[in-house]
Amino acid sequence: MFLEIKDLKKSFGTAENRTEVLKGIDFSVEKGQICVLLGPSGSGKSTLLNIIGGIDQADEGYVSINGEKTADMKEKRLTQYRRRHLGYVFQMYNLIPNLSVRENIEVGAYLSDRPLELDELLKTLGLYEHRNKLPNQLSGGQQQRTAIGRAIIKNPDILLCDEPTGALDYKTSKEILCLIEQINQKYGNTVIMVTHNDAIKNMADRVVKLRDGQIRKNYVNETKIAAADLEW
Amino acid sequence: MKNPLLKRLPRELIGDIGKYLAVFLFMTATIGFVSGFLVADDSMLAAYQESFEKYHIEDGNFTLEKKATDSQIKRLEKEGVQIYENYYVEEDADTDLDGKKDSTVRVYKNRSQIDLVSLMKGELPKKEDEIAIDRMYAENNKIQISDIIKVGKEEKTVTGYVALSDYSALFSNNSDMMFDAVKFGVAIVTDEAFDNLEETHLKYRYSWTYDDPPQGEKAEKERSDDFLEILADYTSVTGYIPRYANQAIHFTGDDMGSDRSMMVVLLYILIAIMAFVFAVTTNNTIVKEAAVIGTLRASGYTRKELLVHYMTLPLLVTVIAAVIGNVLGYTIFKNICAGMYYGSYSLPTYETRWNMDAFVLTTIVPFVIMLLVNLVLISKRLKLTPLKFLRRDLSTSKKQKAVKLPDIRFFDRFRLRIILQNKSSYITLFVGIVFANILLLFGMMMAPLLDHYQEQTVDNMIADYQYILNVPDEIDEDDTYTLYGALSRFLTPSLETENKKAEKFCMESLETVPGKRDSESVTVYGTQQGSHYMKADFPDEGVYISDGYAEKYNIKTGDTIWLKETYGDKTYSFAVKGIYVYPSGLSVFMSMPQFCCVFEKSDTYFNGYFSNEKITDIEEAYIASTITQDDLTKISRQLDVSMGNMFQLINIFAVVLFALLIYLLTKLIIEKNEHSISMVKILGYENDEIVRLYLVSTSWVVAVSVLLSLWIATWTIKVIYVYMMAEFSGWLSLYIEPAIYWKMFLMGMAVYALVALLQFFRISKIPMETALKNIE
Repeated sequence: MFLEIKDLKKSFGTAENRTEVLKGIDFSVEKGQICVLLGPSGSGKSTLLNIIGGIDQADEGYVSINGEKTADMKEKRLTQYRRRHLGYVFQMYNLIPNLSVRENIEVGAYLSDRPLELDELLKTLGLYEHRNKLPNQLSGGQQQRTAIGRAIIKNPDILLCDEPTGALDYKTSKEILCLIEQINQKYGNTVIMVTHNDAIKNMADRVVKLRDGQIRKNYVNETKIAAADLEW
Repeated sequence: MKNPLLKRLPRELIGDIGKYLAVFLFMTATIGFVSGFLVADDSMLAAYQESFEKYHIEDGNFTLEKKATDSQIKRLEKEGVQIYENYYVEEDADTDLDGKKDSTVRVYKNRSQIDLVSLMKGELPKKEDEIAIDRMYAENNKIQISDIIKVGKEEKTVTGYVALSDYSALFSNNSDMMFDAVKFGVAIVTDEAFDNLEETHLKYRYSWTYDDPPQGEKAEKERSDDFLEILADYTSVTGYIPRYANQAIHFTGDDMGSDRSMMVVLLYILIAIMAFVFAVTTNNTIVKEAAVIGTLRASGYTRKELLVHYMTLPLLVTVIAAVIGNVLGYTIFKNICAGMYYGSYSLPTYETRWNMDAFVLTTIVPFVIMLLVNLVLISKRLKLTPLKFLRRDLSTSKKQKAVKLPDIRFFDRFRLRIILQNKSSYITLFVGIVFANILLLFGMMMAPLLDHYQEQTVDNMIADYQYILNVPDEIDEDDTYTLYGALSRFLTPSLETENKKAEKFCMESLETVPGKRDSESVTVYGTQQGSHYMKADFPDEGVYISDGYAEKYNIKTGDTIWLKETYGDKTYSFAVKGIYVYPSGLSVFMSMPQFCCVFEKSDTYFNGYFSNEKITDIEEAYIASTITQDDLTKISRQLDVSMGNMFQLINIFAVVLFALLIYLLTKLIIEKNEHSISMVKILGYENDEIVRLYLVSTSWVVAVSVLLSLWIATWTIKVIYVYMMAEFSGWLSLYIEPAIYWKMFLMGMAVYALVALLQFFRISKIPMETALKNIE
C-alpha cells in the first residue's frame, strides 16, 4: 500500500475545551490514485490532509508513505520528506506577489533534483502565454493553475489539494479539476484532494467521506468519470 | 539551480525603496563618519606617537627660580639624565595691533636638540623681527603669514605656522582643566631675537631625557619622583612636570583614545537600532506573507532557506553601506575628522594609514550586529509551524484572549488596540527616541552649559585680578636679629601695594591623593576675616571647599578631605565645614591664620592679592601670575571652539535619527493596517477619521516617548557626564538649561508632525480595492 493511514486521532484544546477532530481514521490509497476526502465544514478533512502532509501531527495512529511513518520523522527529516515527496495546493493560491508566473513555478522547481520541464509544464497548465505576468495580473483560475504548477513541477509522489476549487467559479473549477486529472494521468502522482463539493467524488478512484472526525464512507469508486463530465 | 526567491530581492528593494534608502543613507553616513574618524584618529595618533621619537620629545621639564649653574647641571646629569636648556619668555600679545593685550604668547628659541618644531606652513624665522607661531593659535586669532603682531613690546612679522612637539595641546598651566588655544599660544624666534626679549619674563625651564628610559607609567612615575627629590636638594624648583603628567604633551593622545571608544559605541548602538528597525519591518513582511511562507514550508522549503531569504536584504544593505561608508571614510570623512582634531590640537602632519582595526569595527562588527539581531528576531518568528503560517496564526504566546480594555470611547479603545497590536514597533520607536534624545540633549546642553559656567564663573569671581606673587624665602627665625637677617630684610623687595582695593591672601597648590582617580591639582586659599572679596568668613578650624570640588568628589559638609604636596610626600587632612560657590576650579578655602599654621608660615605671610583694580606698583618680576576673567573662563571658551561644531553635528545626527525612526515605524504601522484602513474606508469612514484612528495612537506614543525620553536622557546624561568629567582635571557643574526640554519636545513633535503629514497622504492613497482583493 502506498499511503496508509492507521487509527489516526487528533484533538485540539485542553480539558473541558478539548475537541476531538479525528476519532480514529483508517484508510489507504494506492500509488497513482486520486483520492477525494469529502465532508462538511468541521469534519476534520483539512486536519487529516495536514497530517498526511506532515505539517500537523496526530495524537495517536500514524501515516505511512511507502512504508515510512511520518510520526517517526524528526522535523528536519519531515521537511526533507515534504520537499521530495509532496506538492501542496491550497484554496487560496498563496503565490509570491512580486514573482512572475514562471518564477513562482521555479520556486517549486528549486526543491527538486529532477524537476519537470518548465516550458512544457507551462503549456500543460495553459499558462505559457502568461508566464511573465505577476499574480495580480491573472484571474483566479490562472493563479490556481500557477499554484498547481508550483506544486507539480517537482514531480511529487503525492499532490495534496486543499479545496483547490473553493474560491473559483463553476467553469474555472472544472478547468482546474481537469488539469489535476490530466497531471495525475501524465505524471502518475497520487492525488489527495479535500473538498466539500460532493460532485467531485465522481472523478476519484477512492472516496473517503468524513463527518465529525469519523469516516462515514470509504470506498473505491467503480464509476469514475472524467473531470470534464462533472456536473454540480 | 539558483534559489528563485533571490529574484524577489531586487523587486523587494525597489518596492520598499524608501525604507531601504533611508536606512542605507543613515548607515552609510554613520559608518563613513566613524570609519573616517577611526582612520584619522589612528593615523594622527600614530603621527603623534611617532612624534615622541621624531621630534625628540622630552621626558620631563622643570623650572628653576634661577639659572642652573654648569656644575649643578653636571651633577644632575650624573643621575642618568640629559638636561637641555629650554628657556622661554611669556609675553602679552596684541595680534590685531589695537594696542590692547588679547592673548599670551610663550616664546622659545628654535629648538635643535629637544622638543623639535614641525613647520606646518611658511618658513621659520630668520631675522630678529620675525616669529613663527603655533598653527592653532594663529587660526583662532585669524593671524595670517606675513601679518605683524606685537609680542611684549616688539612688533614681529609672522613667517610661518609651527607645531611645537611638547605643546600638542596648548596648556599654559599644567593644572588647568583645559587647554586654551585662543588666548594662549607658543612661538619660536631666532636665538638673537630671544636674547633681546624682556629678561624679567624669562623662565628657566630645563627639559630632560633619561639615558635609560623607564618602561611603563609606574616606573616612569617612580623615576621622576626620585629625580624630583634629587633636584629639590640641589636647587629651588618652581615647576616640575614629568612627561607622563604633562597635559600639553599627553592630553591629545588621551583625548584621541577616549573619543575613539565613544565613537565605536555610538556606531554600534545606531547599527543595533537600525537592525531592530529591519527586524521589526521584516517581521511585518513575514506576517503579510504568512500564507506564502506556510505554503513554501509545506512544500519543503526549510526554515533556514527562508531565514536566509528574509535576512539577505538587511545584510546586503549593511554590507553595501559599510563598503561605501568606508570609501567615504577614507576620502571625505577622514579629512573632516582630521580637521576637527587640527581644530583642537597642534598636531604635526600625518599620513593616512590603512587601518585594519577600523575596517573590522566599521564593517565586520556592524554586519555581525545586523546578523545577530535579525537572526534572533526573525528566526523566532520563523520557528512557527507551517500550519500556523497557513492559518495566519503568528502569535507566539499561548494567550488567545484579547487584552480587556476599559469601557471608554470607541475611538480611544480602537487606538489602544493599535498600540497593543504594534507593541514591538512602538518599543523600537521608544528606544530609538530615547537614544536620539540622549544625543540631542548632549548636543543641545553643552553650549548653554558652557555659557552658564562662564556666567557663574564671572559672577562668582573672587576679584577681577588675583595676583600671585614670587615671595622670597622667609628669613630664618635664628637670623631675626643678626646682621644677615637685617641685610636680608633690607634687600627683600617690598610686596606691599598702595592700592586700597587690594587685599592680601595666601595660596598654595596641593594635589588630591591618588586613588581610583589620578591626583589633580587643588588650590588652597587662605583669606582674611571680614574679606571684601569673599562671601563668607572661613573658620579657624576646618575648611570650605568649592562646589565643583564637592560635586566631583561627592564630598559633603562634615567629611574629611586628604590632600598632598605637589612636589613632596606630606599629606594634609581637612574637615569640611561648608561648600563655597566658586565654579572656577577645585579649591579649598580657610582663614589666613589657619593657612599660616597649616603651611608653617609666619603670621604676616601672604603671597597674593585680590583686587578689582589693576595693581601697578609692584615690580612685574615679583608677580608670578595674574589670574583674570580670561584665565578663569578659558575652559568654556576652548570647549566652545574645539567642540562647537561637534555639538551641532550631534544635534543634526540626533534629529535625522529621530525623523528616520518615526518615519520608518509609522510607515510600518500604516502598512500593517493597510487592509483594515481600506476596510474602514469601505465602511464609510472619511480620511480624517481614519487618520484620527491610526495616527493619533502613534501621536500619543511619540508624545509620551518624547516626554519619558527627556527624563531618561537627563538621568543618562548625569551618569555619563560624571564619567566624562572624571577624565578632566577640574569640574564643570552639570547644568541643563530648562528651556532645552521645551525645545526638544517641540522639535520632536514638529518632526513628527512632518512625518505624520507624509503618512496622512499615504493613508489617503490606500484604495478600497485593497480590502476587496485580499479577502482570504
